[in-house]
Amino acid sequence: MFADLRFRLGKLLGRVGAEGELDRELRGHLEREIEESVRRGLSPEEARRQAHLDFGGVERAKEECRDSWGTRFLDVLAADLRLAARNLRRRPGFALLCVFTLALGIGVNTALFSVVYGVLLSALPYGGGDRLVLLRHGAASDSVGQMPFSVKDIADYKAQSQTLEEVVEYHQMSFILLGRPEAEQVRTGVVSANFFDVLGVRPLYGRTFLTGEDQHGAAPVLVLSYRYFLNSHGGDTAVIGRSFRLNDRAHIVVGVLPPLPAYPEENDVYMPASACPFRSNPDRMADRNSRMMSVFARLKPGAGFRQAQGDVSAIAARLAREFPDSYPAGGYGSHLALLREELTRRAQPTFLMLLAASGLVLLIACANVANLMLCRLLERDREMAIRAALGASPMRLWRQLVTESTLLALAGGAAGLAIAWTARDLLVAYAARFTPRAEEIRVDAAVLLFTLLISVLTGIVFGSVPALAWRKRVGTVVRDSGAQMSDSVGRRKLRQLLVVSQVAVAFVLLTGAGLMIRSAVNVARVDPGFRPERVLTMNVTVNWSRYTEARQVREFFHVLLTCSQALPGVVSAALAFRFPLDQAAPWARGFLIEGRQIPERAQPKADFRAASAQYFQTIGVPLLRGRFFTDQDHEQAPQVAMVNQSMALRHWSGEDPVGRRISFNGGKTWATIVGVVGDVRQYGLDQAAGDGIYLCIPQVTVAGTLVVRTAGEPARVEAALRRLVREIDPENPVSGVTTLEQARSENLAPRRLTTLLFALLAVLTVVIAISGLGGLMALSVRQRASEIGVRMTLGATPERVLSLVLRQGLALVMLGLALGAAGALVLSRLAAAFLFGVEATDPATYLISSALFLAAATAACWLPARRAAALDPLLVLRTG
Amino acid sequence: MTSSKTDLLQGTLDLLILRTLALEPMHGWGISQRIQQVSGSVLWVNQGSLYPALHRLERRGWVLSTWGASDNNRQAKYYSLTRAGRRQLRGETENWRRVSGAIGKVLGTA
Repeated sequence: MFADLRFRLGKLLGRVGAEGELDRELRGHLEREIEESVRRGLSPEEARRQAHLDFGGVERAKEECRDSWGTRFLDVLAADLRLAARNLRRRPGFALLCVFTLALGIGVNTALFSVVYGVLLSALPYGGGDRLVLLRHGAASDSVGQMPFSVKDIADYKAQSQTLEEVVEYHQMSFILLGRPEAEQVRTGVVSANFFDVLGVRPLYGRTFLTGEDQHGAAPVLVLSYRYFLNSHGGDTAVIGRSFRLNDRAHIVVGVLPPLPAYPEENDVYMPASACPFRSNPDRMADRNSRMMSVFARLKPGAGFRQAQGDVSAIAARLAREFPDSYPAGGYGSHLALLREELTRRAQPTFLMLLAASGLVLLIACANVANLMLCRLLERDREMAIRAALGASPMRLWRQLVTESTLLALAGGAAGLAIAWTARDLLVAYAARFTPRAEEIRVDAAVLLFTLLISVLTGIVFGSVPALAWRKRVGTVVRDSGAQMSDSVGRRKLRQLLVVSQVAVAFVLLTGAGLMIRSAVNVARVDPGFRPERVLTMNVTVNWSRYTEARQVREFFHVLLTCSQALPGVVSAALAFRFPLDQAAPWARGFLIEGRQIPERAQPKADFRAASAQYFQTIGVPLLRGRFFTDQDHEQAPQVAMVNQSMALRHWSGEDPVGRRISFNGGKTWATIVGVVGDVRQYGLDQAAGDGIYLCIPQVTVAGTLVVRTAGEPARVEAALRRLVREIDPENPVSGVTTLEQARSENLAPRRLTTLLFALLAVLTVVIAISGLGGLMALSVRQRASEIGVRMTLGATPERVLSLVLRQGLALVMLGLALGAAGALVLSRLAAAFLFGVEATDPATYLISSALFLAAATAACWLPARRAAALDPLLVLRTG
Repeated sequence: MTSSKTDLLQGTLDLLILRTLALEPMHGWGISQRIQQVSGSVLWVNQGSLYPALHRLERRGWVLSTWGASDNNRQAKYYSLTRAGRRQLRGETENWRRVSGAIGKVLGTA
C-alpha cells in the first residue's frame, strides 16, 4: 500500500524524469538487442528491423508502462481540465453568468452554514459540554420551571443525586466596584468554587476559584470576564493580584476567563458564593424558601440523560413529601435541560429555516446553470458527436461535462466564500439576537470543507443533468450535420421542466417572504398597551453594604423620584419592578381570591409586577376601572393591588374586581384591588399580554427601575438624571439606560432582520428563476425562427407572433406557480410559528405574490417575444 | 506465433520475472535473455509486455529499480527483488506447484 503510494507519487512528481527514464530504458533494450544481432552477423538495418519486430510497438509498451504507474487518471483529468478551461474561456459571458449564479447560491449557503455550524453543530466552548445540564424546578403546572433554588434545595439535590457528578450554583448580582477612578457597577456572577471546573473552562490568565473558596470565611477573590478585562482594564494582566472594594470588603483579582458565551448572563466579574453578602447571610442560607440561584450540573460518566431526569424527579418527590411547606402545593417537579439546547433554543428554528431556504436558492441556481449548460451543449452537439465517434466512451464524455461544471462550481464556490466571509460580522450581530453563541460563528475549516463539498456536489449534479439528456444522440447528430441547431424533444422537455421547477421553488420562497413581511408589519402595528415614545428607563442600584435597612433605600428612592419630577423636561417619573420589554423572564405566582373556594391544584396564577404611583401615567397605560396607585398607598397603608384587563376578564367577568381582595401567601394577608388597567405586551410585541397583577412599590419592595416620561428628546434629560443620582449618592451607580422606544425596536429587530434575510433569499431565487425563464424563451425563439417565419409568410401578424411566444412562456410560469402554490401551502404550515396575525393560507399574500411573479415573468418573456415579432420572414427562411 | 506464449497468464510472467531476479539484480534485456535460456528457448517473453510487467511489480513494491552500468558499459536500469518480492515469490511458487500438480492429476486421470 505504502510502496504503491510512494511509487505513484514519485511518478507523479517526477513526470518529466519518469518519461525520460522510460524512454532510455526501452531504447537501451533495443540497442542491446541490435548489438547482439549485429554480433551474430546481421546487418545493422536488418538487426534494427528484427529488434523492433520482436519488441512489438514501442509506443504501445510505453503506454502500458504508464498505465501500470497508476497516474493515468491524472492525465485524463488534466486533459479534461485543459479542455474545460478552454471551452469556458471561449464563452466568457456564459462562464461569468454561471459563476455569478453559483456564487450567489453557494455564498448564501456557506454563510448560513457558518451560522448553523458555529451555533448549533460545533461543540460547546465548554470542556465536555455535551454532558452539562441545567436543573430546573417549580410547580407541576409550570412547565418551564421558573422557581430559583435556595441553598438548602441545592444541598439536597447534590447529596441525593445518583446521576449528577457535580452540582454547582449560579446567581447574578449587581455590585459596586470601588478602587478605580469612578465607582463602577459590575454585573457579578456568584458561583460555586468549582463552577468553572464543572463547565470545563480553563482560565486565560491566573486561576479560577479553588476548592473551599466558596466556604464561610474564605478571603474574597474575583475572576474577570474576558470582555470586562479588555474593556475596563485594557487587557493588562497586571490587574491580577490587584485589590478592589466590593460590599465594603477587599477582593483580590486572581484570574481572567477566556472569551465565553454570555451565558447564563453577561457578567463582568465572578465571585465565589461566600463573597456575596446576600447569599452568605446565615438566615438566608438556613431558609429553604429563600430562593435566588440557578443550578448547573454535569452528568456522571455512564449516566444517561433520561436516567438523570428520573433521578431528579425522584428527589423532587422526596423533598415535596419531607418539606410540604417549602414546595408548591398541588405538585412540585424538577427537570433537566441539556445546556447545548438551552443555549440555542431560540436560535434553532429560525436558523434551520433560513438554511433550508438557502438550500432552495442553491437548487434554483443549479437548475439555472444546468439549463445554461444544456443550451451550450446544443451548440456543441457536433463536437461531442465527433468525440464519441472517435471512441470516447459515454463515461469519458460525462466526465468531460462534469469537469466543466465542477470547474464552474468551484469558481462559484470561491466567490461564494468571499460573500460568506464578508457577511460574517453582519451575521454575528444578527445571530447574537438569538443566542449567546453568536461569537462562535466564523469561516473556519469546517465551513471551507462544506463549501468545497457543496461546490463539487453542485458541479456533479448540474453537470450530469445535461449529460443525461445527451445520451444516445451520437448517430443522429452526425447525420444531421446540416442542421444548425438540432434539439431533441426530450431535451426541450427537460429544459422546460427545469424552468417550471425553478418557478415553483421561487414562488414558494416569495410567498413565504410575503407571509413573513405581513407578520412583521402586523407585529410592528400591534398596540403594545403603553405609549413607548419619550420614556427613559434607568437602573439605579444602591450600595447594599451601606444601605442595610429598607428605610434607607426607601428614603433614597423617594428623594430620587421627587427630585427627578422637579427636573426641567421631565413630565413624570416613577419606579417599576419589571417594565414592558425589559427582557426579564415572566414571574408567575399563584394567588387566592377572597371568598372563592378553589382547590389548591387549580390555584390560578398570574404574572407579578410592582409599580409606584405615577407608573401607569408615565408609560401611558390606560385606567379602565377604579383608581391608580397614589402616594397614599405607602407602606403603612392597607395593601393594594391592580390587575390588568385579561386578569379582570378571566376571574371577574361581568363583575367589578375593584374592592375584591387577593392573597399571595395562602391567605395570611390580603391586598385590595383598587383598579383595572389595560393589557400591556410585557414580554414581546408578538406575545399575548396574559394575566398580570401589579403591586404597589413601597408596600412590597423598596427599589426599582426609574421610569421617566420626558417632554422632549429623552437623551437630553439623561445627563441631568445621572448628575442627580451622583449628587444624592456618588456610590450608587447608574446602568442600563434605554428608552421604551428603543426597547420596542429591539424587540422587533429579530423578526425584522429574519424577514429581511428571508426576503433577500426570495428575491434572489425570483431573479434567478426569471432569468432562467428569459433564457429559455430566447433560445426557443431562436430555434423556432423558421417556424415563425413560415407563420408570418402565411399571414400571422407580429401581434399574433408576440402573443404566441408570450403564451408559451406564461403557460410554463402558470404551471410553476400552481405547483409552487401547492408547495407553499404545505411548507408555510410548517413555518406557522414564524407568522403573526396572518394565516399560512392567507389568500391576499398568495394573490399578490403571484401577481408580482407574473409581472416579472411577462417582462422576461416580453423581450424574446418582441424579437420574434420583429423577425423578417424572408431573411429567416432564406438562411434557415 | 507468439500469441500463445504471450497469452501466458499475467501472473506467470510475474512469477518468471521474480524467479529470475531472485538470483541477482538484472536489467530488462537480461531478464528476457535469461528466461529464454533457462527454459531452453521454450518460453519466449514478449518484450512489449516485459516492461509494463516490471513497472507493475515495482509499483507493488516487489522489485526495486536502480540505474547502473551494464557489462557493455551502458547505463541500464537494474531491477532487484525486495523482501516483499521474495515473500511474494515464495507464495507464488507454492501456488504454482499446487496448481500445476493439480492440473497434472486431472490430466493424468482424464
